[in-house]
Amino acid sequence: MKKAGVGLVLCVGLVGVGASCSRNGSTANDQLLAGKVLHMAQPERIKGLDPALAEDAYSGIEVSRTYETLLEYHYLKRPFVLIPGLAESMPEISKDGKTVMFKIKKGVLFQDDPCFKATGGKGREMTAADVVYSWKRIADPKTLSVQWMFLSNLIVGLDEWRDQASRAGKASYAIEVPGLKAVDDYTLRVELKQRSGQFLYYAATPGLSVVAREAVETYGTEFIRHPVGTGPFVLKEYNPAARLVWEKNPNFRKELYPSEGAPGDRERGLLADAGKALPLVDRLVVDVMIESQPMWLTFMKGRLDFAVPPKDSYSEAITLSKELAPELKSKGIQLQKEVLSDVTHVSFNMRDPLLGKNKKLRQALSVAFDQSEFNRVFYNDRAEQAQGPIPPNISGYDPKLKNPYRVFNIARAKQLLAEAGYKDGKGLPPLDYASVASSEGRNIATFMEKSFKEIGVQLKVSSYSWPEFLKAIKDGRSQLAGHAWAADYPDGQNFLMLFYGKNMPPNGNNDAFYSNPEYDKMYEKALTLPDGKERTALYRKMVSVLVEDCPWIFEAHRHGYYLTQPWLKNFKYHPFEHSRHKYFRVDPEIKAQYSK
Amino acid sequence: MGAYIARKLIQTIPTVFGVALLIFVLFNVVGGDPTYQMVGKHANAQLIAEIRHEYGFDQPLWKQFGSFLGEIVTFDFGRSYATRQKISEMILAGIGPSLTLAIPAFLLTTFVALVIAVLAAYQRGRAFDRFVVVACVLGMSVPMLAYILFGQYVLAYRLSWFPISGFEYGWPDRFGFVALPVLIWLIVSLGYDVRFFRTAVLEETGQDYVRTARAKGLAEEWIYFKHVLKNSMVPIVTNVVIEIPLLILGSFLLESFFSIPGLGNITIEAVHNSDLPVLKAMTLLNSLLLIGGNLLTDIIYTWVDPRVELR
Repeated sequence: MKKAGVGLVLCVGLVGVGASCSRNGSTANDQLLAGKVLHMAQPERIKGLDPALAEDAYSGIEVSRTYETLLEYHYLKRPFVLIPGLAESMPEISKDGKTVMFKIKKGVLFQDDPCFKATGGKGREMTAADVVYSWKRIADPKTLSVQWMFLSNLIVGLDEWRDQASRAGKASYAIEVPGLKAVDDYTLRVELKQRSGQFLYYAATPGLSVVAREAVETYGTEFIRHPVGTGPFVLKEYNPAARLVWEKNPNFRKELYPSEGAPGDRERGLLADAGKALPLVDRLVVDVMIESQPMWLTFMKGRLDFAVPPKDSYSEAITLSKELAPELKSKGIQLQKEVLSDVTHVSFNMRDPLLGKNKKLRQALSVAFDQSEFNRVFYNDRAEQAQGPIPPNISGYDPKLKNPYRVFNIARAKQLLAEAGYKDGKGLPPLDYASVASSEGRNIATFMEKSFKEIGVQLKVSSYSWPEFLKAIKDGRSQLAGHAWAADYPDGQNFLMLFYGKNMPPNGNNDAFYSNPEYDKMYEKALTLPDGKERTALYRKMVSVLVEDCPWIFEAHRHGYYLTQPWLKNFKYHPFEHSRHKYFRVDPEIKAQYSK
Repeated sequence: MGAYIARKLIQTIPTVFGVALLIFVLFNVVGGDPTYQMVGKHANAQLIAEIRHEYGFDQPLWKQFGSFLGEIVTFDFGRSYATRQKISEMILAGIGPSLTLAIPAFLLTTFVALVIAVLAAYQRGRAFDRFVVVACVLGMSVPMLAYILFGQYVLAYRLSWFPISGFEYGWPDRFGFVALPVLIWLIVSLGYDVRFFRTAVLEETGQDYVRTARAKGLAEEWIYFKHVLKNSMVPIVTNVVIEIPLLILGSFLLESFFSIPGLGNITIEAVHNSDLPVLKAMTLLNSLLLIGGNLLTDIIYTWVDPRVELR
């Protein structure tokens, strides 16, 4: 073919340069990805590697590659089960539930780092004093730790220690906290203000990971990008805008792949690596890919080991019968479907004189909202109708619950509206709906407008930037607002707390400003109960109160569709075990076969 | 010229002050309070108050503006709300990848556009010229996003001519990763540049001195390449030089879609995260570079056209 024109010649030159990099094995990048390497993408810039500041899920995952918690979750068992992490065994809890004794594993070493001057840069042993320091650091007002929510009003003396630090302008770590004591190097005693059903879950939260004081003090404000932990990986490259590279920690203790799992795990090959030392990959490469198309195409090209099909490419990946498309099947790609531990909702502002005092009006709006249509339009039908706030797989979830106000029925909605005193919407002023000023936010607002118009209710949409949207909700400026909540731990309390009276903004996330003394009493009682029949019954009673009071339109629990390459082994969805990638295995031989 | 530059630099001060005021009003007053976003889902009153105090959100607006002016003078914009990185370091780290994309793209675009424009103008009204004009209009009508989606899907994914996305710091591999974005930059910019350059050349061919040269019997090629081209350089240089300082900022869309960790990518991510200090710094940097570009253009005028004198 004749190539006429300078432009064309230059374009051909560019293709030549590009092609040299698009071939496998031709660049330093390909060499980095060769062998037992897990290659994955994160859709956001990594916000930092300081556990105390890791607020979002993506940072939580990155933090957990190198930092560890006292407890963690069993990777395979369902329902979710806590197991010892840095703790030697599950803690001993006193009869009154107030004293929790942790035995710490012996011989757990921090990674080698120059901050350990006393040992010449060799990683020293992690002890109970490190846990005390790490948790005090979260309480230190100067840390501005978002994890404080977990520890506030929980441990005897810790709030007072924090208050004193606030008053003095500087925290004194030498001052002991009565409820948080390293009895010896391998024993930690925690005194709780009252029995807590959630404390052990908190002890497995990445935010409460154990850090080394030497590292915090040596690196100061740069500690956020200089992690020094005890976990399975050590950081080799940190470019939060582009790539993080982790390599196997040579100091990592002997930790084995589980030999028990949930029913069906053995058949799925999830126990094939039982008893093998973790982690099962030598390197982990995390590329930041903000846009979904390049992430998707890179996965389809076989250069990412797993992916979530983006909304725009959904029909390319999944058939109408919600199975894997033939093209993907032919590549050996596998599909896993899971119910996510979240709930999307529209919250009514219960402080609003109109909505807050008119239960029938709230119920009418809930009944008028066509969730099936919403799920089809916005989630590719990858969601299920929420009946209450607690999602499946979370303690307290009631699979038999049928919320009478979440059955889409225009005639009934109109009847409820008439009973509310607004027949066909007459006399009802337009309701203010707060929305995020994004294309999806606008589309959802349009859907809401259309839904409520069916029964004669007008919406006035107020669009805000994300920070202003949050502030509008927290200030109670809107009458309705759409939102979502994802679980931090597998306990229904993590959802029921969103309706507790004392958790109204700015003290918490009761964004509906729901206040019901009867509910609050049950919530306070449930906090002190261990997981069991009594607590589950109480949770269900609380949910039934919420269903009737209707402070939210309970929208959906979304489904996650995960695609894995044929060479990726041991992939199992786990929303709470952030260090799950240590269980993943990449088979280079299978990868080579597919690459050919 | 020294006096001119000094005067221009002094005039820059009120301009920068005005820009700073505008940016401050946009981000600190209209943009809203970022505290809730920073706290995330785990908010409580105590932490909110502490963050507001630490970042100075509880200060009166005039004090906050004073701090912002101080940041501009010292070029220390503090830390990103989202990543807690030093913004000056983020900017320095982003310049390299942005320039890796922008310099080759800019040079190629300028060179190719000039060649096509001169040839089209030389053959004015003939088939090649008409083809170029139509192609330019078509090229300008298609948004960059369409080129990106097409390029990634067809050229990178289906044909494997380019990497789909990513960036490498090593040489010369990094050029391979920016080849497709450079090609897209070239295609998107050609339409506008060719039309502009062609018009500039054509305007010059209508001047009296060209008619005189023709009347004297000078060869058309000689008139064209010796006289017309040189004189048409003033508007072309203006258009080209003013872009040079802005190259540092890279391209928002290209960097975001191709995962190039440049300043365009940083800005897009800051928009996603409502990372106001980063956005403020990038907006200000943009303004400063624009002011610098204008000054540079004025100076280069005098080299291109000796009739221009800076006073």
